[in-house]
Amino acid sequence: MSRTEVFPEHTDVLIAGSGAAGMRAAIAAHDAGAKVVLLAKGPRRANHTRMSGGRYNAVSGLNPGDTTDAFYQDTLDSGAGINNYRLARILADEAMDRAYDLESYGLAWDRTDIRKYYMSMTGGGTFVRTLGSVDEGIGITEVMLHQLHKRGIRICDFHMLADVVQDDDGRVVGGLALDLSKGAWRYFSAGAVVIATGGTSQLYETSSGPAINTGDGIAIALRAGAELVDIEFMQFIPISFVYPPSARGYTLTEPAHYGMRHFDPKAEAAHLVNNKGERFVLKHDPVRREGSTRDVLARAIMLEILEGRGTPEGGVLMLPDSKVFESFLKERPIYVKRLLENYGEGQARLEAPIQVMPSALYTLGGVRIDPSCRCNVPGLIVGGEAAGGVHGANRLGGSSMPDIQVFGRRAGIAAAEDAKEYAGAGAAQLEKAHARAAQLEACIGRSDGVRPPDVKKRIQKLMWDHVGLVRNGEKLTETLAAFRNLREHVLPTVKVTSKSRVLNREWMEALELENLLDIGEAMAASSLQRPETRGAHYRTDFPETDPNWTANLIVRRHAGALNVEKKAVVMLDQASPQRENVGAIA
Amino acid sequence: MPSDIKLRAKIRRYDPSVDAEPHYETYEVAGKDNWRVLDVIRSVYEHQAGDLAYQFACRAGRCGTCAVKVNGVPVLACQERCKPEMRIEPLTPFPVLRDLVVDRTEVEARYEKHALTPQRATEYAGGPEAIEPKLAEELCHMDSCLACMVCVSGCPAVAERAFDGPAFMLKLRHMAKHPVDTGNRLEQAIDAGMLECFGCDLCTQLCPADLSPAQAIREFRREMIFGGSAKHE
Repeated sequence: MSRTEVFPEHTDVLIAGSGAAGMRAAIAAHDAGAKVVLLAKGPRRANHTRMSGGRYNAVSGLNPGDTTDAFYQDTLDSGAGINNYRLARILADEAMDRAYDLESYGLAWDRTDIRKYYMSMTGGGTFVRTLGSVDEGIGITEVMLHQLHKRGIRICDFHMLADVVQDDDGRVVGGLALDLSKGAWRYFSAGAVVIATGGTSQLYETSSGPAINTGDGIAIALRAGAELVDIEFMQFIPISFVYPPSARGYTLTEPAHYGMRHFDPKAEAAHLVNNKGERFVLKHDPVRREGSTRDVLARAIMLEILEGRGTPEGGVLMLPDSKVFESFLKERPIYVKRLLENYGEGQARLEAPIQVMPSALYTLGGVRIDPSCRCNVPGLIVGGEAAGGVHGANRLGGSSMPDIQVFGRRAGIAAAEDAKEYAGAGAAQLEKAHARAAQLEACIGRSDGVRPPDVKKRIQKLMWDHVGLVRNGEKLTETLAAFRNLREHVLPTVKVTSKSRVLNREWMEALELENLLDIGEAMAASSLQRPETRGAHYRTDFPETDPNWTANLIVRRHAGALNVEKKAVVMLDQASPQRENVGAIA
Repeated sequence: MPSDIKLRAKIRRYDPSVDAEPHYETYEVAGKDNWRVLDVIRSVYEHQAGDLAYQFACRAGRCGTCAVKVNGVPVLACQERCKPEMRIEPLTPFPVLRDLVVDRTEVEARYEKHALTPQRATEYAGGPEAIEPKLAEELCHMDSCLACMVCVSGCPAVAERAFDGPAFMLKLRHMAKHPVDTGNRLEQAIDAGMLECFGCDLCTQLCPADLSPAQAIREFRREMIFGGSAKHE
């Protein structure tokens, strides 16, 4: 067999990910003088930001009662006290400036007056502070994309980052990418590599994100020696579509669920009932009821479904408040249309019960970063959903949008700095790129074995059943054994039946499998190591929050084995969480 | 409750790097009547043709990357309800990478050429810009164009004449309406072939995001003939 061909080139900063974090990093790195190449795994618009409702938490000064301290406090409360306090503080302090950046790019935030933004509430917040725009995540990504175009930043569509390449001291000096559109390997030597590949929602059977969010960047960082933090925490959105199959798991925005509570913290959210007509949420959170945080609601719904009190299609019923329809139609017309097409007119008008189910939404954990988005691996910078620590054990609705702007920008600035300082020659590591590419070609042309989609489904089912909303020690241990088995006996037999190298989906999925398994294993291992219930992490064998576990779990991989270590939370002096037991189920 | 349905999907297969010309393959799929075209395509990939090249990401009508032609009509595969008999083809008139996936390189080059960022006379001063709430809403609607190329594919003028296509007119109009933009968007629209539009309104009917590129073109034309500015409408 001929030697695998790898086409080398050089850039200052290589960014993987075409969502808002990657684009914001690209803008910042470019503006700091760096030559930037941005890799998009699919076409550039195929990203998670675009799927978001685009709600944006920031303290604009328009609500006189609200302050950045309050936003910070809400973030810590929601995160059940294990956020990285420094990152949470930065989020609260910088969110508004980044919202103005978007305005300067051409985004027209919704307004109530010529210079007054429209604000609403989202899950978990205590103040009316959330900005939004009718064009949602689509508008945010469009205005950013045109900024990249304006700067002449090179975007490589259909380029999947396969791995980073390190020099002999462990510094990241480039990235190996598969150009899926040609089936060709490219090695970008670079002064810094930014991971902005988003989350891992595809680990789960039912998920809200795009099909390409397979945690590639987080797995790549883990393999390169980076530490992961809070990786046991996966956020599930409580209300998503149940059918048709293509829409299953797609988020069904909060205004429909929040009813008048969307505008008034004292108002009642839409009731959720099981197939017996019982308001089951009252068992779990008698105080906040259906206005509770996302983690509590998602878990409550899942338990109803698991215990046989769901609908035949696998959901529960939400009884919407038709009074909110007019504002819902005005604010979120896209969702009204989806409800109409998927469910019917009664549901679209918020007059008939709407079937809902939980869905994997947001990877709360990720690569452990410092405020500059650097991690313990030199030359590797991580921002957005791929990074962990900002949100802790649970995330406020409306906080992912500011996160990816704030930390996307910081990642870009750090990358430009590191690239400037780096005088090494990443091109010297081309051999390593060759060797890795050759490994990743092994599945092509294998005659016997199992196809990637079949393995992916097995992983997704294991994660959904045992490392999802409801966990226990026994099943987590079993799952870890199943993952070991998949890694040792199944991955080496994965075959790609397609003969063409061009847009070979099976091949892409084969590459994704290793990433999914790496992260799935890290999630299961750290879930097992946390003997309590907190935020999005619910253990039936440890249903209470344990104050001794107001701490982070750090996952590292050494010589192929995972190492999970408990560490103290990174604190600031000024503040501490007001409640730590928000995740507990009595 | 959705009911079972037998589907026949005739899919255009073509690998330009190997095949002299495209051919069609027919797949029988057992599905449900509430399935979308994307559900059918995914089922074919998972159970019958592991070598099928197709594109999708969000499956919710937002990324705009799954557009194909179904029985000759450009649609988003994730939004279009399936039919018992379907001919599924890649979006025309774009070059095909393989099977159902088109090469958008030239499309992106057009977006870049049109410089779709606000061209400011003075630097952004920070804070909310002076935009009427109604106008902000309208700008946002125009900014929710998916860039899916469904309207460009369906446009009869694009097929016959030198015209960039309806989607680009909508984006130019978006900038023309933006209060801080000083670019000559009308001139850009004319240069991009706006006058070649037949006024058939097909783009509006096809748009999966319920936008009206035809309206954008009508407004540009009115401005061209009667003068006035997009800013004061």
